[in-house]
Amino acid sequence: MTPMVDMAFLLVTFFLLATTFKTGEVVWVQIPRSVAGLNLPMTDLLTISVNKDGQAYLSLTSPATRRAWLQKHAQVNQIQYTEEEYRAFEAMSGFGVPTAQLRQLLQMPSEERKRFKQAGIPMKAGNKNELADWIILARVVIPRLRIAIKADATTPYKKVEDVIKTLTDINVLRFTLITQPKGLDDDARY
Amino acid sequence: MLDIDDLPNPNRLRRLGRAKEKPGVVTDMNSMVDMAFLLLTFFMLSTTMYRPRGLEIAFPVPDDTETRVKEVQAVKASQALTLIAMPESKLYYYRGLPEASSIKSLSYGKAGLRTLLQKFIQETPKAVVLLKPHPDCVFEDLVTLLDEMNISRVPRYAIDKASEEELQIMRSAGIPVPNP
Repeated sequence: MTPMVDMAFLLVTFFLLATTFKTGEVVWVQIPRSVAGLNLPMTDLLTISVNKDGQAYLSLTSPATRRAWLQKHAQVNQIQYTEEEYRAFEAMSGFGVPTAQLRQLLQMPSEERKRFKQAGIPMKAGNKNELADWIILARVVIPRLRIAIKADATTPYKKVEDVIKTLTDINVLRFTLITQPKGLDDDARY
Repeated sequence: MLDIDDLPNPNRLRRLGRAKEKPGVVTDMNSMVDMAFLLLTFFMLSTTMYRPRGLEIAFPVPDDTETRVKEVQAVKASQALTLIAMPESKLYYYRGLPEASSIKSLSYGKAGLRTLLQKFIQETPKAVVLLKPHPDCVFEDLVTLLDEMNISRVPRYAIDKASEEELQIMRSAGIPVPNP
């Protein structure tokens, strides 16, 4: 019995230390594969997910910074959010709606929100680029923010180019394209 | 409740000549094991080993667009290799200046692109590779190109856009080029 207890607790400790909690994905993307690649930090990371249709979604790693992010957003756009709405925003791992729809999304019960089809953060809303605005605010909240693009392998390049242009236009010149590992001799493509 | 660690049998102990030994303290560990495995199952299901990884890219400062163009133009034609990614995983390349006769087709992967790059870097000092993905190709094409740059350790490379003249030359060489 004692060795079994030892083993069980050893495994518990291993899972505690070596893994991170799963977060719900706001949008599913098939990540392209690459041989080279560096590990990204698990904190202070802003991920721009781009699905097959080129719709962009944002997720920021830690809940506390998400609240500060929304506070800045509320301040700049002169919107008042309630405490419940802040809590809902903290709990969401990511989002992809225009600013005008954000309150509606925050007021939904979490089950309904999961089923709700988010249409992406607009990059061309009149003369405003909402995606750029959100990224600028995130950089204000976290000065040493790392930015990564998590695009689908089959997203047309012109859609990804729009996102890259959004970044370079606001002087984000160094960022990461998220990939998953593959072998050096593996030539398979999607 | 079943105890695996049974109390020592006094008769057996006497036979072994250890009659005076005190019986050990028996702890019931079943509930602790239950809890440990419950925690184990919980952590196995609710956590992930996945760590995001990716390719780092850096773009030139946009204010320097003019100097960047000059820089590219200052590259000797003999030092430049241009890779043009087309839709449907088609890849074309030419060295130096674009001419209908010099634009050739290439395959992604070890046999095509990697072999070409390694040969090009070896025989060309101060090699520069220009990546020109067509707007209609997919994101994976860009990732594959950047990945090959890292694998072959290309000292200088840049992401650019294929010019209309280049596309015209490709069309005249009989390569189908969709309008962006």
